Amino acid sequence: MNTMTDRNPTPSFPNVGVPLEKLKPKRVRRRIELTLWEKLYVFEVLRGLYVTSRHFAANMIGFVVPPKGKKRSVFTVYYPEERVTLPPAYRGRPVLVARQDGSEKCVACGLCEKMCPAHAISIVPAERADGDRYPSSYILDMSRCVYCGYCEEVCPKEAIVMSAEYEGLAETDRGNMLYPKEKLLRSEESVKGRIQYIKRIYSKCNY
Amino acid sequence: MLADFIESIAKIVFIFSINLGFFAPILGWVERKQSAVMQDRIGANRADIGGFTIMGLFHPIADAVKVLTKEDFIPAGANKFFHTIAPFICLVPAIATFAVVPFGGRYEIFGHQVNLVIADLDVGILYVFALASLATYGVVLAGWSSRSNWSLLGGLRASAQMLSYEVAMGLTIIGIIMVYGSLKLTEIGAAQANFFRWGIFLQPVGFILFLTCAIAENKRVPFDIPEAESELVAGYFTEYSGLKFVMFWMAEFLEIVTISGIVTTLFFGAWHLPFVTDAMLLSFFQFAGPNGAAILAMLVNVATFFAKVSFFIWLQMSIRWTLPRFRYDQIMRLCWKMILPISLINIFVTGLVVLL
Amino acid sequence: MPDIEKDLHTDYMVINMGPSHPVTHGTVKFLATLDGETIVDLKVDIGYLHRGFEKMCESGTWQQVIPYTDRLNYVSPLINNTGYALAVEKLIGIDTPERCKYIRVIACELSRLADHLTNVAAAGLELGAFTAFLYFVEARELVWDLIEDLCGARVTANYVRIGGVKSDLPDDFKEKTARVFKRCRELWLDVDKLLTKNRVFIDRVRDVGVISGDEAIAYGFTGPCLRACGVPYDVRKAQPYLVYDRMDFEVPIGEKGDNFDKYLVRMEEIKQSMRIVEQALEQIPRGPINIDMPQFRWQSKDDIGNRIDSLIFHFKTVIEGIKPPPGEIYLAVEGANGELGFYLVSDGSGKPYKCRVRPPCFVLTAAMSRLMKGRLIADIVPTFDMINMIGGECDR
Repeated sequence: MNTMTDRNPTPSFPNVGVPLEKLKPKRVRRRIELTLWEKLYVFEVLRGLYVTSRHFAANMIGFVVPPKGKKRSVFTVYYPEERVTLPPAYRGRPVLVARQDGSEKCVACGLCEKMCPAHAISIVPAERADGDRYPSSYILDMSRCVYCGYCEEVCPKEAIVMSAEYEGLAETDRGNMLYPKEKLLRSEESVKGRIQYIKRIYSKCNY
Repeated sequence: MLADFIESIAKIVFIFSINLGFFAPILGWVERKQSAVMQDRIGANRADIGGFTIMGLFHPIADAVKVLTKEDFIPAGANKFFHTIAPFICLVPAIATFAVVPFGGRYEIFGHQVNLVIADLDVGILYVFALASLATYGVVLAGWSSRSNWSLLGGLRASAQMLSYEVAMGLTIIGIIMVYGSLKLTEIGAAQANFFRWGIFLQPVGFILFLTCAIAENKRVPFDIPEAESELVAGYFTEYSGLKFVMFWMAEFLEIVTISGIVTTLFFGAWHLPFVTDAMLLSFFQFAGPNGAAILAMLVNVATFFAKVSFFIWLQMSIRWTLPRFRYDQIMRLCWKMILPISLINIFVTGLVVLL
Repeated sequence: MPDIEKDLHTDYMVINMGPSHPVTHGTVKFLATLDGETIVDLKVDIGYLHRGFEKMCESGTWQQVIPYTDRLNYVSPLINNTGYALAVEKLIGIDTPERCKYIRVIACELSRLADHLTNVAAAGLELGAFTAFLYFVEARELVWDLIEDLCGARVTANYVRIGGVKSDLPDDFKEKTARVFKRCRELWLDVDKLLTKNRVFIDRVRDVGVISGDEAIAYGFTGPCLRACGVPYDVRKAQPYLVYDRMDFEVPIGEKGDNFDKYLVRMEEIKQSMRIVEQALEQIPRGPINIDMPQFRWQSKDDIGNRIDSLIFHFKTVIEGIKPPPGEIYLAVEGANGELGFYLVSDGSGKPYKCRVRPPCFVLTAAMSRLMKGRLIADIVPTFDMINMIGGECDR
């Protein structure tokens, strides 16, 4: 029963330059003439009570006999005892990827610094003795980061990725929000899933 | 003489503890949990003592502790006396009206007639209406003395609404009074021993009208414009904090209980189980001797009464979370143009039927 | 009773429904002059959420603007992204591949769903129907879960790029969408039963905030508010962009322009949006999702790692920004509130010279004062809700 619309449009629409059969206008049924029963509020109250009581009963039964696959039938995820399962695309906080020996993969090219829309990254590049570039100082200001994922997208070396971490990011002192390189480093194993994901979505077959 | 005294004290203590000690905190919990379950979520259940959260039943205690430790301020330039006294004027009628509601019948215990009502007044139901009118003062004073535009609007709306619905409420009750022929709530309750003499069958229209007027009197959704959260921030109790705020809140919850009690007494058979009379109960409990039987029958009846009261509390809470709220002029129109004429017609029809 | 009123010393009361008020949920100030409960005059004050979007765009590159556009209409961010990207692409003169257009249509319609669900939910909440609010918020959570699967964040999506989209649809998107829409339809029916034929609700919103079609056009209304007045103008039909001309959907229009019509139009548009997403998922072709022009859209990571020209263009476009030819352009898309227009001026460098947004709800908020003359103060609530003023968009 479609209470919303009524399929006989009166042909008196203002002309907006689009032919009617392409425009397909559909009048909403605002002239809901309430029957006498509906005008007495009682039946509306009863119908509303029916809807909410149905949810009430379903949820109460769902507390005792949960539906299959879930712990309870209400929609709530009981954080922090239960966590939401995050999709692989989820953008948590940025982390720098560390190689086997603990040093960062980052070559201080500066692309993430230039791309960041919030100007949160500051890099001071330096060169090692054998000519490899590395960031001598890499500071990511977490109070400016908007978790947009651009740094991960432009990095040519997959050296910075958006992990799935979203907890523990609040600090009481603003100075602690400037994350230096040491605080940002994570081993490659711990972000392996994310690196595989970005390799897949940014690989040739998707372009 | 002494037995009467003990009986009165016992009843007063019982009702006070049930009302203030049990219903007032529990209703806060019920409101949160019931609304949560209706809305597909878990309600508040994090307050714990020693790691035990029993489904959030410690939240009322947490609320009480929080409220008692809040700063109690009076806005600058407000009328101090009225600002302080308004919550009390609201709270006292809510507690005191329960004095005439009978929660059980008459029993013979240890040779003494026990009448389970605190004050068996001859004017019964009129006492309730009289006290409910006093609550209007509390609301209006709260709104006016807070020296804030929002509170003033809330108090203004409340005064008009509560006064109009007082009038309508009085008229809706006349039908029941005519049918049962008495103002005393105990007699009305006793007259409903037979299931088919319950008020709901004799006066269905009166029930609906009375429930509507009572919810309006209590300023609950859909009639909660005096405290409309989204329009008036918090209406007439915007400028209150701490214990006084909670007193307004408690007054509202206790009035829910009172309304449920009155509706049960008038329309739903008071303390009687359907199809079970007092005599049947007494004979059922023969094994315990006459006194024991009377006590057990008394307990059964009290439990039935409170079960029915709980059902009506659930119903009022459900209605609160289902309906949107009325606009101010629509509330007035509803009262004066719809409820009042229908209740007058109800009176005429009832009068005719009673006469014939 | 004019003679009585002459003797009573009455005065108008000026009340300030200030920026922090439960009903002004976009930070707007209403100065209402009241005569009792009737509104004599209503002055609207906006700008409490002005963050300098247009100035910020001038100091970033063309691609850096995209996260800023997320925060314009923050309940339907993907529509803002798409509008901006389409405007820049038209300025450059490029066209994206087919699959990309379909994905953009899906993203836009999911965002539109989220916006309409939020709006009707907020209307229910502020009128006192809390349960209707929470049912639609549950539906919105499910739609946001879909968007999270797509791009990684629920609200600040940052998904559409100039010349394509960020990444492809996930593998099981179609099944997930089917499940989510089934639940959304059930919740839609529940809210319909709770609100649409409810006399309490109808009395609150019917014949409140009435405006005629001509006057609405004079004010500059677009979107659901204009369609509620009976004018069937929808940018998706009038100036079709992306692949909307291949989609079969209807445009719900109202009759009188009051709040009830706006509510009904939005409820119907929720259903139409779901229809469009399902059709797009059926018709979507295989193929590339980005154009193959490295000077405007950076290439895949394989290319960047292996080909020197991709790497060079990647560095140049990130550091200096893409360089559209000098010129100016205005392009409008159908936002959730109406016609969302982007006026871009380019001077050939990597940063926009000007990036102006035409916010649909700016004119709607301006019309509040005309809609509210002579009504009661309690009518501000449903009218302002149904206008769906989003602070981020109105104030930018």
